[in-house]
Amino acid sequence: MTRIATSSDRESSPAETAAFLADYASWLLGCGATCIRIEKNTLRMARSFGIGADISIMPSHVYVSAWKGDDSRPQVVLRKKHRGAINFNLNARLSRLSWKVSDKKLDLPTAIKLFDRIKETRPTGKWETLFLTSLANASFCRLFGGDLAAMIIVFLSTVAGFRLKQIMLEDKRDVRLTFLCASFFSASISAGGSIFDIGTTPEIALGTSVLYLIPGVPYINAVSDMLDGHYLCSFSRFADAVVLTACLSAGLCAGMFLLDLKWF
Amino acid sequence: MGNEIFINIFEDGLFAAIAAIGFSSISNTPRRAYGACAVTAATGHAIRYVLTLPEAGGMHIIAASALAAFAVGILAVLLASRIRCPAEVCFFPALLPMIPGMYAYRTVEALLLCLYHTQEETFGHYFYLLAYNGLTCVFIILGMVIGATIPVFLFKKLSFTATR
Repeated sequence: MTRIATSSDRESSPAETAAFLADYASWLLGCGATCIRIEKNTLRMARSFGIGADISIMPSHVYVSAWKGDDSRPQVVLRKKHRGAINFNLNARLSRLSWKVSDKKLDLPTAIKLFDRIKETRPTGKWETLFLTSLANASFCRLFGGDLAAMIIVFLSTVAGFRLKQIMLEDKRDVRLTFLCASFFSASISAGGSIFDIGTTPEIALGTSVLYLIPGVPYINAVSDMLDGHYLCSFSRFADAVVLTACLSAGLCAGMFLLDLKWF
Repeated sequence: MGNEIFINIFEDGLFAAIAAIGFSSISNTPRRAYGACAVTAATGHAIRYVLTLPEAGGMHIIAASALAAFAVGILAVLLASRIRCPAEVCFFPALLPMIPGMYAYRTVEALLLCLYHTQEETFGHYFYLLAYNGLTCVFIILGMVIGATIPVFLFKKLSFTATR
């Protein structure tokens, strides 16, 4: 029978612990967790390791300070936010790891091993996401009062725009340029509804065709961080979301301008 | 009449559920959470739809969004421990169909049009659209997120032990 190593088996140094916790926090920040969750999860594990710790979360970095007994000589580790898309699956698995470490009193090497395994989490399949997002945007169109023709137009324009977004992001293009191009692409295709007079609500099709690009999670995270007093992160997330919204609006306007459609 | 309203509520909830599943897939939500996202989104959107109906008092969209989001928050906290995911995994995709995307980009469009037109009357019209859409958008988001976050803080123990 294998025995799970516990924190009492081997003492971990504050430096090693701080490095692990900073890595962990940078991954949580990168996958779109709120600041309150990052703090709670990280400090829960620090307590379980028998280490005193504190964490400072900046918009694109995290600092973790760890000490043993006397806090006059803490070890401070700085990590850059992990670059990646918003990933709730990763968020859930990392949160579960913090409870596992705390409840089962796992030691640091075991926690690192589990953490490395979580890092391998694969994102949702791209074709599945493409289909579900297009269906979601078509449903959005219905929620805004669009008819069946408008829903079909929105579905097709989302397929085209979202696929372009996937290709550009895989190609490591700038995210703002990607949003602008995807929005332009979707808007230009859905403008067909207005130009060829398809259905009774072509303007709703045009308006909703780019809504799949609205960065909803950063907007919601911004307010959540603000409520928790993390104003810097809150402002940063809000500014990111506003920039992306401006890019998608610019793409939409460019599409309408090019096809000579009436604004408002 | 009553039957028609019931069908509309059902339709609103159904499309909100489909939208929530789709948008949750963009954020790489675990598949086991799709059902919870759909139920929360359908409930939230249907509540907002009913509250804004003229027959039900025609509540303003900001207040209606906040109340609907509060219901979403409670449901998300209750369902989170069943699917062993943080509550936000459930309530974020459920709130997304309520995000006022139309208001958000109409704000930016109005801003661009303000810059494009120099005549006072036209500029004033687009500035009004900018302020109206911008303020509505900001307050809907604020109301929604505050509404959905309150249950997380009210049931703090339940919310932060969901993944235990």
